[in-house]
Amino acid sequence: MLKKSIVKMSAFKSSIASSSVLNPKDGMRSKGGAAGLLLTALIDAFSILVIFLLMNFSTTGDILFIEKGMELPKASQAELVEVSPIIKVDNGELFLDGQLTSANDMTAGLINLRKKWQEAHTESEPLNALTIQADRRVTYEVLNQVVVAAAQAGFSDLKFAALIK
Amino acid sequence: MAIGQVGPQDKKGLDFELNLIPFIDLLSVCICFLLITAVWIQVGTLNTKQAVGGQSQAETEKKATLKVAFQKNGDLLIEAKDSRLPAKLASIKISNESGKVNLANLDQALEQIRAADPAVSTALFHPMAGSVYEEIMDVMDRFKKKGLINLGMNPL
Repeated sequence: MLKKSIVKMSAFKSSIASSSVLNPKDGMRSKGGAAGLLLTALIDAFSILVIFLLMNFSTTGDILFIEKGMELPKASQAELVEVSPIIKVDNGELFLDGQLTSANDMTAGLINLRKKWQEAHTESEPLNALTIQADRRVTYEVLNQVVVAAAQAGFSDLKFAALIK
Repeated sequence: MAIGQVGPQDKKGLDFELNLIPFIDLLSVCICFLLITAVWIQVGTLNTKQAVGGQSQAETEKKATLKVAFQKNGDLLIEAKDSRLPAKLASIKISNESGKVNLANLDQALEQIRAADPAVSTALFHPMAGSVYEEIMDVMDRFKKKGLINLGMNPL
């Protein structure tokens, strides 16, 4: 059955068979028109690629969405992003969890967020952290509005989003 | 499944060849999946605290603290409080380098401060209205790198 199989009829001459020590078939390679493909090297390369990609695989997901045109500053001491309310500063406009807001309304918005968090997570620690996502070129004058609003709403931890160097 | 070919002398053939095509298929699918789902930009957060809080000054524990003031043209003024630093390190001015903060000099100053008083681990930042966010982050990053891990941000 094996003798008549399609694989046997169509496969290239085996490089193993032709280089066998126990049953050498040296003539096979020279007589055959097509050279035997060495797939082992290809599988080695694929395996290395898979291992490399698996090592770099991130399971945390994307918490921050960086819009086109926004360039985050770089920091070598940046830590993993944790789930917390996000204030985005984009072209001078302030967004609280994706919704456009103003500097005046931000404190109230943050207090509301905190209340909702505490209602949903009665047993966990109170929400104290706030993530600030801003373009690297903005001045502190703009960021100051966020810092002040966070202080007024009782957010003691400020997490500045940055690209990890 | 056809396993492979053993040549005309089947009974005597001892070499055995695996069909590698399914392995290649599997690895190709794995590579495609991993490439599509890979996150190429690593985003993190530089964690700081509010320098101004609700706690009264009397209740606040006295700790060696550095006050870092951003000045015009990229100059930095670092002043130590409640520390055992010698007078020459208790107040350092780091002059700018072509309008930007001189990070090399800042590194040197921080190394000296940490060597003189390793207990210093807190720094409070006082940026100006015109201070650029990237520069503030660069400076805070240097502080963290040198072991000053408790950073506080002051409002204007």
